[in-house]
Amino acid sequence: MERINNVKNIIKLSSLILIVFLLSCVQNKKRETIIVASAGRIESLDPAQANTLRTLQILSALGDTLYKINKEGNLSPNLAKDLPKISKDRLIIDIPLREDVSFHDGSAFNAEAMKFSLYRFMKIGTLNYLLNNKIEDIEVKDEFLLRINLKEPSSSIKSLLTSVNLTPVSPNSYSNYKDKFNNKSFIGTGPYSLESFSSNQQIIKPFSNYWGKRPLNKGIDFVNYSNSNTLFSAIKTKEVDVLISNSIDDMQRVALNNMVKKGKVNSGEGDPIEIGFITFKSNTLPLEKQKIREALSYTIDRELISQKVSFGTREPLRSIVPPQLHKKESSPWSKYQPKLARTLLKKEGYCEKDILTIPLTFRSNVPADKLLALTWRDQIKRDLSDCIKISLNGVESTTVYKQLSDGAFEAVILDWTGAYPDPEAYLTPLLSCTKIKKSTCLKGEAVFSGSFWGDNQVQELLKKSEVLEGESRLNTLKNIEKLAAEGSSYLPVWLVKPKAWSLKNISQPEFSSNGLIILKNLKRE
Amino acid sequence: MLWIISSLVFILLRIAPGDPVDAILGNRANEFARESLRIKLGLDKPLINQYLEYINHLIHGNLGISLNTQEPVQVIISKALPASIELAIFAILIASFVGYLIGFLGAVKPESRIDFLGRIFGIGTYALPPFWAAMLIQIIFAVSLGWLPIGGRLPPGMSLPPSVTGFLLVDSILNKNIEMFFSSFEHLILPSFTLGLLLSGIFSRSLRLNLEEILKKDYIEAAKSRGINESRIFFKHALPNTLLPILTITGLTISSLIGGALLIEITFSWPGIALGLQEAISQRDYPVVQGIVVIISSIVVMISIGIDIAIAYIDPRISY
Repeated sequence: MERINNVKNIIKLSSLILIVFLLSCVQNKKRETIIVASAGRIESLDPAQANTLRTLQILSALGDTLYKINKEGNLSPNLAKDLPKISKDRLIIDIPLREDVSFHDGSAFNAEAMKFSLYRFMKIGTLNYLLNNKIEDIEVKDEFLLRINLKEPSSSIKSLLTSVNLTPVSPNSYSNYKDKFNNKSFIGTGPYSLESFSSNQQIIKPFSNYWGKRPLNKGIDFVNYSNSNTLFSAIKTKEVDVLISNSIDDMQRVALNNMVKKGKVNSGEGDPIEIGFITFKSNTLPLEKQKIREALSYTIDRELISQKVSFGTREPLRSIVPPQLHKKESSPWSKYQPKLARTLLKKEGYCEKDILTIPLTFRSNVPADKLLALTWRDQIKRDLSDCIKISLNGVESTTVYKQLSDGAFEAVILDWTGAYPDPEAYLTPLLSCTKIKKSTCLKGEAVFSGSFWGDNQVQELLKKSEVLEGESRLNTLKNIEKLAAEGSSYLPVWLVKPKAWSLKNISQPEFSSNGLIILKNLKRE
Repeated sequence: MLWIISSLVFILLRIAPGDPVDAILGNRANEFARESLRIKLGLDKPLINQYLEYINHLIHGNLGISLNTQEPVQVIISKALPASIELAIFAILIASFVGYLIGFLGAVKPESRIDFLGRIFGIGTYALPPFWAAMLIQIIFAVSLGWLPIGGRLPPGMSLPPSVTGFLLVDSILNKNIEMFFSSFEHLILPSFTLGLLLSGIFSRSLRLNLEEILKKDYIEAAKSRGINESRIFFKHALPNTLLPILTITGLTISSLIGGALLIEITFSWPGIALGLQEAISQRDYPVVQGIVVIISSIVVMISIGIDIAIAYIDPRISY
């Protein structure tokens, strides 16, 4: 009996020691830097390779772009000293550069450095086709004057120059990386310099020789967690200061928004840059018939889907360009009209005997896609069960992308984020086509987007828009959208706004026009 | 065996739908950009040439270069593997301690309350879905009680020490960084405890059953009839004879854990080999997937050989 008591006492003592040890481990240190968390790992800090929002987010703090889009939606100089000067034939762009900028390695920023960075991107950049399609060559006219010669007039090139992918890198530090990626370091001109890098954590500190407005904080520690649940828990337990919304599940977004209402956290919201839509393959029956596609475009109850899938956090969308880029309200796609859909389908011989069966593919690794597919299917079952039947098919996203241009999917749920804040960055990737036969695109972006929809008028207007500026350009782009809505090969569903949440002792996150948090404005209060 | 595995992985990856070029460029790059990247990555070559090149490199100990990051696969594995091994070692220690203790107590007092609870524990932990258990433990100990960190290997803001062994606990001691040692230990507790707890059920059940069977053997009855002390029978005669199956189970569990406990690594954002493998598969990063599978297979083969040698050493009846 005595022995058993001794054992019990030993167990009690061990437990006590363990608890004291664990509690002593909990860190109570006062943080000076700001910890920003997002989902997924960062494998490369090379702007020529960056294509995820989390990588662009950190690069936006480490580097500067030539231009920025201001709150009014206009181009404003950043590393450039002034707005670009465009020749009369619109084939030459002269960009004067700031003279007081230096790289993190101490070398000076000038036209040579900018030329080096642009050529490097054009050579090895994973999105290099964005520039290669437009730029003929680049010249250094003066130490601080860069000239870009275009292959053909391009109004969108100015917005392209706001892309974080084109942030300059130091020719001195990248001399060995002219034609290969430099994944683990970054030497740019931005307000922060990189202190340490691993795929799960990146530490950046204010750059003392920064030419512009200095950061309001003492540095940012980026941490990358592998799932939404851990991210949500991390801000709830105050383990991190700021949470970026990419890859946060809708349920947790709602929970975070409730925390904002209760005053537990701050939140900031940027202009929406991501659109969610359904692509219809328009080159085979039955969706080859425009009337059937049009009928389908009347069948989606976007408000209901937004509420059911995202509790209203994703805004219903009836255009394929985020609204702020139009500068005026524009919703060329129709609202939910099941009666009209039925009338059209009856004319095509459905609803009485035949039921139109649409196989809808969704990306199985994107939870919102699956919920959208399920909700739309049930909504159609409720309203139009005698006319349409949706059958669902989940496929992993990498496989979906591979098979889009093979025409493997009758209808597929996708999303798109423009590489720069301009309507063209949304319209061209979905609609441009270089070879059209009847209404079918045989070669071009419309093939890669899986719609195979081609329209000669759209192509003419896309070309025309490149030589226009201002209001007339925007009107032309709106006309393109109207034609796309009539073609009904895409069905816009929702709009996703970038959002971030911060603890109460951290300032409210502010966003730039390209949907990235302005990290230097984050402040510990 | 390794040749068959590496060839199978090579073939299966190429058969699987999806393209590394799409994974890298996204779905909107034009055909020229795709083709250029395909040539750059060597994916334009005939499959047989790619295979021969891969086997040739493998024979020379070269696992290739990641298609995604252009980093040598050896480097990627050398960063992720120590994290998985560290987690596996601690999980096995916890599982062995908890599992064998419960199994032992159950076998000592069969049909007692402790035996009954031990059996429920064994079945329960075996049946628990790992992701659910992990999330539950995370919510209780990290979110509600706030005793331990949510995930990761180190607290935010703390940089990794210069890598000597890759094992954070060891490296922090070698770098004389006590704060880092405690921090990394603290981060290790929840994932290893969860994994250990889930494995302990198998351990307790196997020890309990083996011990029960051995306690019914004639030589145990004979020992009892000779009046030998019960605890001596237990520790000197019964327990050593249960060692063989236990050693096999422990060894195989270690091998499977070094391959990574995917759901645990995902839930706790543990940067181990399983998380790396999952990401490489989703990005169709062929060399990384092939490299990880070959390394894991080699480790499993080595551990299996090690177990066979250990069994032969322990049990004089077995010889090779």
